[in-house]
Amino acid sequence: MKIVVLLSAGRHRVSGQPAPVPVELQALRLAVELGGEVTVLHAGPELGALADALGHGVGRLIHRVIADGDDPLPSLMAALTDNPPDLILAGRSGQGGEDAGLLPYSLARALGRPILADAAGLSAGPEAGTLAVEQALPRGARRRVVLRLPAIVTVHPAAPAPLPFAFAAMRRGVIESAPGISAPQAVEVEERPYRPRPKLIAKAAAGASAAERLKAATQAAGGGGTLLVDPSPEEAARAILAHLAALGLRRDG
Amino acid sequence: MIPAGTAFSLLILALAALAAGLVARRVRLWKSGSEARLVSAVGRTISAVSADKLIAGLKALPRRYLVDVHHVVGRDPYAARMHALAAGGLLGGSLLALAGLIPVLGMSRLFWAVVALAFAAALAGGFMVGRRRLPEKPARLSGGRFQRLPLYLAAYTGGGLLVALAGVLPPLAPQALLASFGWLGLALAAGGGIGLVLQIDRGPMRHAFAGAAHLVLHPRPGRFEGERATALAALDLDAPRLGAATPADFPVNRLIGFDACIQCGRCETACPAFAAGQPLNPKRLIQDLAAAIEPNATNAAYAGSPYPNARPVAGVGGPALPLVGAGAMIHPDTLWSCTTCRACVEECPMMIEHVDAIVDLRRYQTLELGALPLKAAPPLMELRYADETAGRPLAARTDFAAGLTLPLISARPAEKGPAEVLLWLGEGAYELRYGRTLRALVTLLLKAGVDFAVLGPEERDCGDLARRLGDEATFQRLARANIATLARYSFTRILTADPHALHALRNEYRAFGGEYEVVHHTAFLDELAASGRLTLGALGQARVTYHDPCYLGRYNGEIDAPRRLLDRLGLERLEMERSGKRSMCCGGGGGAPVSDIEGERRIPDIRMGQATATGAAIVAVACPQCSAMLEGVTGERPEVADIAELVLMAVEAAKLPAAQVLA
Amino acid sequence: MTRQRRDPRAEERQQLVAGTLRRRLDRTQRAAVAAPVIAAAPVTVTEAAPRLRVIAEPAYLVAVVPDAPGGRLTPHDRQVIGAARLLADAGGGAVLALVETPSDEFGAAGIDRVLALPVAGYDPEGKAEAVAAVLDGLSLRHALFPDSADGGDLARRVAALSGEALFAGAENLSPKAVTRAARARKAEQRRAPPRLIALAADAVAPHAGTRHEAAMLAFTFPPRAPGAVLAAEFIPADPARVSLAEAEFVVSAGNGISDFDAFRALATALNATPGASRMVCDAGLMPRAAQVGASGTVLTANCYFALGIAGAPQHLQGITGCEHVVAVNTDLHAAMIERAGLAIVADAQQVMPALLRLLAGEDA
Repeated sequence: MKIVVLLSAGRHRVSGQPAPVPVELQALRLAVELGGEVTVLHAGPELGALADALGHGVGRLIHRVIADGDDPLPSLMAALTDNPPDLILAGRSGQGGEDAGLLPYSLARALGRPILADAAGLSAGPEAGTLAVEQALPRGARRRVVLRLPAIVTVHPAAPAPLPFAFAAMRRGVIESAPGISAPQAVEVEERPYRPRPKLIAKAAAGASAAERLKAATQAAGGGGTLLVDPSPEEAARAILAHLAALGLRRDG
Repeated sequence: MIPAGTAFSLLILALAALAAGLVARRVRLWKSGSEARLVSAVGRTISAVSADKLIAGLKALPRRYLVDVHHVVGRDPYAARMHALAAGGLLGGSLLALAGLIPVLGMSRLFWAVVALAFAAALAGGFMVGRRRLPEKPARLSGGRFQRLPLYLAAYTGGGLLVALAGVLPPLAPQALLASFGWLGLALAAGGGIGLVLQIDRGPMRHAFAGAAHLVLHPRPGRFEGERATALAALDLDAPRLGAATPADFPVNRLIGFDACIQCGRCETACPAFAAGQPLNPKRLIQDLAAAIEPNATNAAYAGSPYPNARPVAGVGGPALPLVGAGAMIHPDTLWSCTTCRACVEECPMMIEHVDAIVDLRRYQTLELGALPLKAAPPLMELRYADETAGRPLAARTDFAAGLTLPLISARPAEKGPAEVLLWLGEGAYELRYGRTLRALVTLLLKAGVDFAVLGPEERDCGDLARRLGDEATFQRLARANIATLARYSFTRILTADPHALHALRNEYRAFGGEYEVVHHTAFLDELAASGRLTLGALGQARVTYHDPCYLGRYNGEIDAPRRLLDRLGLERLEMERSGKRSMCCGGGGGAPVSDIEGERRIPDIRMGQATATGAAIVAVACPQCSAMLEGVTGERPEVADIAELVLMAVEAAKLPAAQVLA
Repeated sequence: MTRQRRDPRAEERQQLVAGTLRRRLDRTQRAAVAAPVIAAAPVTVTEAAPRLRVIAEPAYLVAVVPDAPGGRLTPHDRQVIGAARLLADAGGGAVLALVETPSDEFGAAGIDRVLALPVAGYDPEGKAEAVAAVLDGLSLRHALFPDSADGGDLARRVAALSGEALFAGAENLSPKAVTRAARARKAEQRRAPPRLIALAADAVAPHAGTRHEAAMLAFTFPPRAPGAVLAAEFIPADPARVSLAEAEFVVSAGNGISDFDAFRALATALNATPGASRMVCDAGLMPRAAQVGASGTVLTANCYFALGIAGAPQHLQGITGCEHVVAVNTDLHAAMIERAGLAIVADAQQVMPALLRLLAGEDA
């Protein structure tokens, strides 16, 4: 199977230094462990720290050089139609652009391929030309989906951790650089430095009524918690279950 | 001339020839290693292949043996006496007896009396060897071939004694009796001698010649010149293979070092991982490395204590076969159990460099294979992209000092000239507990009017963790970046409370062009107290015991200043069962906390047990790792306090009239 | 019931422990100032029946596509409806819900019109095609999605299908502008609300106050060709097996627990993922993978229930992300008691069987 993993121009979440996006390295691991011929692909002005992907289990990196601010889609399309892979993997949401996670969908639409989101595990499907995807849903639930190939799959952070970096493997890796397709994008949005906002509301329980939401909000605002000193075990147990029920953690409480 | 005497001399000649053949076989195996290399005190690597280096090594051999080796062996006086008698007597007697072929000597009764004396001494030594192993062998000593050693020694030296006596006694005893004495002795000596010589190939006698060769070609000659010589060798990152995968990847002189092991087991009694039941036994590790240089090698001959809770391995190898892996000689968990505390190196009478071997093997695992323990990979990733092991903002390193004046060196006016000290904060600054220590230190610097500054957000991780985990690429990048930062500022000395940073900055950055005078806070505070810049009050009669950080005591030999400083505080200082350069590790070094190899106990619990046993109320520490590890011990235990915190209490006590700060 | 205003300074003065060198606070004194909430009667909010608001002739339609698993709205869905109401009420528009399974709670949640989507099984592409058809056919002014796992996926599919701009991960929304984080949260982007918006969780308050009619609409959907998904099977999270890092509710055992069979039974009965302190893992009583803390797993759980855990700093570092903490510990001064929203000073070993009895009684 031929697999291409898309890399985006990531930055470290704290230092802001160029860095591979962790979930894309996780995608790379899924690809390597699925087996086959794996390459990584990036379209952007420069590689920077992305060459480090070669230290995470892949031997070949294709770089399409485009200007800063160019739409990477045409360049990626060109690189992917040259030698079409069976499977394209991408992170759930890339970095460096709008970080909206739209690119894999646009790519799927442009290539006319199906897309499936949030893979936490990949394995060969029940018959040739199919892929079994373990899809991560919130809070540890999963959906096992069988998908017809070729396809695009995005990878979820619940996938196994990236393969550890091996410096010498990075040194041995091959980088193929070629000019990409110039595609300037119209800028529609106004941009300014990020300003974190407080989350607006306290989380209320699933299916909460207005009264429950009010209670949740007042509890959170109240700060300090409730203290029971030396209650009887039964008293303590009732208090705990009541509290858990208020948090929406007891279906039958 | 007595017939048995001549025959004995000829026997020795034959044995020597056999020995030479076996030695030659072993030397051929050594040749599978790469070019012999020496490591300088600061970690620069130089070729050892040159006539003058070899001659210098040969010239130094007697001194290295009689002074340096004896210094270590002599810690166990019984072993020292045993070795002097057995080895001295055996070699001396045999060489003399060989000289018996010279007719003048062979006819001399005096000559044979001297030979007899030598063999009597050797026999006594052999007896001591036996008494140490019989009736019950101590756990640290190896069995198998080693258990037969006293037998061979007794036979050979006893036989030699009989032959020599046959040469001494003629006028006193009947000729026929003496002749049968002589032949009996010869037979005994032949049996024992052949046994001993065969032990050159596989067995305890290998250490005799390999040990001598190891002392001549020792990879860290600085250790014999009074240097601590503990900086890891800088790795050439352009080399075709990074680190050691097979025995052939080790330089010849390191392979010789593995063969020098006499399996005395002093390393295993000193090893903290061994004590904690983690799968590391330095003796077994060296034996696995030594065994693997033979084609079709197996680990079956080893008869010492195993790796505790050993992970199963195939136990096969060869000069060009991998050393590490479940299908090889050494399980990866063994490598990652090491805290790089160097206790094994400190104890080794053959001056073997265990930690260097482990780091070389780790380098291959990390740099070539990316085969790291699960939890060791993320900190290295953070270091690569954020210069900090947990990916925290570099600017947050000074958060611990909220409310204190912490001058930034970048904001220092040029007219003030170089800062007296640059305070290197280290990784501990992010930790809540160690932040208290650093606050105490900064407060003391302010009180003493020390002209100091910090790098603030420009201070990157020193690279210690990366280097010990084998990630030399990240270490070198961090070292170069830190050296470039330090080059932009002017200061007289670097002060740090972190012995790991101290070791990196003082010793390991030199190979990359960074030469600094680095002082540990215990030494610096001691200076301040000695010169009267800090006035210390008495802390009352509290009992304190000092835990030496490995990277300060063993790596840098600094064991006196912290004790002097504690004594200035008026505390009753008690010593633990293991202290100074022979102190026991807290379990926090070498990336062991992130490797987190499962054992039976935790190293800090064992160390805290030793501290508790002294009856001290306080364990004084001087390292962020020790502080974190020992603070993690639960239950009834002495309080953990950094020396800086105690000094601050004493300075504050000096102002109170008759306050007793510590009850 | 009137609540006394808190005076933190007065509380702290009362809590100061005399006669120690280091400043120490005795948090038990808190009870003396602020009455314990648990003992008080449950908060009663008189909920007057909300007024029904009918928008008969909407100027335009704002659609929401809630996740609504099984027809039940999630809190995130309600926030998206709240956002849709903001956009609709700014110009006399109505909120239209596009759902697989309509349910009766939609009206109270603030929905004027409901349209059922013809989707069978897990077919995100089919759902996206249906939504795109409505977007076009009913000339929707906006379509709003929760930027959740499935909702976010759907929004991007609709965007790719329709060629409309999607404003994903919106963190702030008003009729004039939407904003979101970009460039690894270094920048903030802002623009007038486009046609497609995927809203981040906890960004907009849910709708409250009025009831809406939730009238069913009819629509003719184009036929759907078979998709690439050949089979899909939902596997619910098994709290016993889900990784600690992903678990929603973790119950954790520390040194104060000796009966680990009871502990495991309790974790199962509570439907929680079992965790443990370092000491318990060191002792081999729980597997190493269960260790919570800086050297173990750092949790993202919503609720952390600590039994017999004092709360070493490294352990607390592992639960900084947990919104709710419940602690049972014998030591009043334990850090975990301080951290907990519900703190019970009692022997956890005694409380466990009581909890198990109570839970068994509930089931019976």
